Amino acid sequence: MSTIQADLAIKPLPTAALKPFYFNTSAHLLRIGRERAANLAELLQALRTCSENSIFEHTFRTLQEHHFIREGYSNDFAHWAFTACNERGLAERLAGIDVREFTSVQAVREQLVQIVEEYMRNNPGSAARAAREPFYFCAADTVVLPTPFVARNLPEFVDGLARVTVHSIQHHFIEARLRLQLRSNDFSLWLEEEAGLKEAARRLNRIDIYTATMEDVRRQILRIVEHAKE
Amino acid sequence: MDSKGQKVMEVPAGTSSHAQGSGGNWPMPTATTLAPERRRQPRISETPPAPAPPPLLADYEPLIGKGELDELRYLARDLKGKSVKMVNSTAVGGGVAEMLDRLVPLLNEVEVHTRWEVITGGNDFFEITKAFHNALHGGEYHLTPEVKEVFLRYNEQNRQRMHFDEDVVVIHDPQPAGLIRAREGGNSKWVWRCHIDLSNPNPDVWGFLRPMVEQFNAAIFSSSSFAQRLSIPQYLFYPCIDPLSEKNKPLEDSYVQKVCDDFGIDRSRCIVTQVSRFDRLKDPVGVVQAYKMAKRYVDCQLVLAGGGASDDPEGNAVLQEVTAAADGDPDIIILNLPPWCSLEINALQRASTLIVQKSLREGFGLTVTESLWKGKPTIAGAVGGIPNQIIDKLTGALVYSIEGCAYQIRYLLTHQEFARQLGRNGQEHVKENFLMTTNLKRWLLLLRILLQVP
Repeated sequence: MSTIQADLAIKPLPTAALKPFYFNTSAHLLRIGRERAANLAELLQALRTCSENSIFEHTFRTLQEHHFIREGYSNDFAHWAFTACNERGLAERLAGIDVREFTSVQAVREQLVQIVEEYMRNNPGSAARAAREPFYFCAADTVVLPTPFVARNLPEFVDGLARVTVHSIQHHFIEARLRLQLRSNDFSLWLEEEAGLKEAARRLNRIDIYTATMEDVRRQILRIVEHAKE
Repeated sequence: MDSKGQKVMEVPAGTSSHAQGSGGNWPMPTATTLAPERRRQPRISETPPAPAPPPLLADYEPLIGKGELDELRYLARDLKGKSVKMVNSTAVGGGVAEMLDRLVPLLNEVEVHTRWEVITGGNDFFEITKAFHNALHGGEYHLTPEVKEVFLRYNEQNRQRMHFDEDVVVIHDPQPAGLIRAREGGNSKWVWRCHIDLSNPNPDVWGFLRPMVEQFNAAIFSSSSFAQRLSIPQYLFYPCIDPLSEKNKPLEDSYVQKVCDDFGIDRSRCIVTQVSRFDRLKDPVGVVQAYKMAKRYVDCQLVLAGGGASDDPEGNAVLQEVTAAADGDPDIIILNLPPWCSLEINALQRASTLIVQKSLREGFGLTVTESLWKGKPTIAGAVGGIPNQIIDKLTGALVYSIEGCAYQIRYLLTHQEFARQLGRNGQEHVKENFLMTTNLKRWLLLLRILLQVP
């Protein structure tokens, strides 16, 4: 028996979910922060003192700004370490951060600080080496918006998923963990709790957002949910 | 023909039509080559065509999707009935006027009542503000008490003439910055929208303007690197293009073909294009050199399409330098176009296999935005705002030298799938960040923040 069939065997699909899924989305306005870094030492200092909004912007939110890229782009700090500082080892380590492993921005900040500290300790000459261009810290002011899509059952869920913007996918699939403070996402929670699709919910959390565009992510989610419906 | 036999065409506006053509256009191997003698002299139009009516929000749906439009309408819903005044120093010409020409009707369409007013001043005022503009870009300037007096006097005259009872007043650039005095005692929120690169301003001029700027509720810059350390919140609004403007709207392929035929451009062979004024900072001679280096390995034509050579002595000198560098090569097509040839520029960009913008210095580089929007693999100098648009090897190729430009031309002409992927990514990057509709969204978000709409 496949895992998908196991789902169905454990709990038959309800004809209507207990709680509807409201597809929302979010819009962001970029604010230019006070911090800027002209070398790694300044980056480390700013990482410690900048607002949580800044950390969020340069790790979570930048994924939305660059949702169409599959390779080489994971967060702004990694990109800067690579392109402006030519510190490839640091860039690789920073790029290895998967925001979905974190349920708070503070934890992301701590991880960033730890990586930069370690790198500077092992490469003392790197700290004061001037970057080709400074890193400018920004932050985003966010407005959460409703969309016209509401799912009261799986077909409506699939329909909404296929029609919302990629910003909505980002909102529910990636940024949700900060709201939920869980290593999960809005889609998985609803699929598990309302549709009884525990395995599908688990599989959604294994989608690699760093090697896929957000449209790819949408297609993968749809494929998993469609498969689970069968 | 010039003395070296190089073809340089003076060209005009033609009739318009519509259609989509995106991605690099690699020629079909069976197509025949158009001999230079088949080039026709295109029809010359001496006056600009009448402006088209501004598009409605719904007109953007095929380009950005219904979901994006829904978001814009939702953001505007709680702002209905609010009022905004935009103030700048010119009603026509220049990027700010072009942008306001589209933004103001869109804000009104979503029932944010928006007025656009232009300040007045004598020649002495505008000479000073032009000098301020250059000084804020880092140029030398001797700021005297008399200059300050003229600047403030004209601002005061405008303040007395105008009324400022809107919910939000937006002042564009330094010329009307002195109007901030009108804020005293009123309830309006005031925003300073700076379109200038302030990363290295003349300290005297910035020292004079800064106390005015700090009286605003917020400032907006076009790049993080242009921002200053100010006591007020600073927002980042990238410049944008209108995908429905003459320069960017979809075109029928038959029209693209007609423009190519008129200009003697052979679509059966690869076309590398740079669109820009004949200005040394755009390095058109460097582009010719890069093309010649690349041509040792790959067959292609080079189109240099621009203006500024007819009414500007320096532009004319640069055109002559470019013509000399081309040295009679029949595959180099130099087009000196009047400023109203937006449709032709659009067609040339769409016909291109690759687009180059090898600037040595640049503001934001909206010609790069136009190229990316058309899905073209784009090679550009890593200067000004270009790196905001071209993420190297992901949305285009950044270059630092003539040799680098030549290599990228060779590489992208011979690696079509990679080049097409750059084009696709570039188009998405523009769609997400640099379109007029994104600009509208930023304005609606800022209005909500300033007016504390939850």
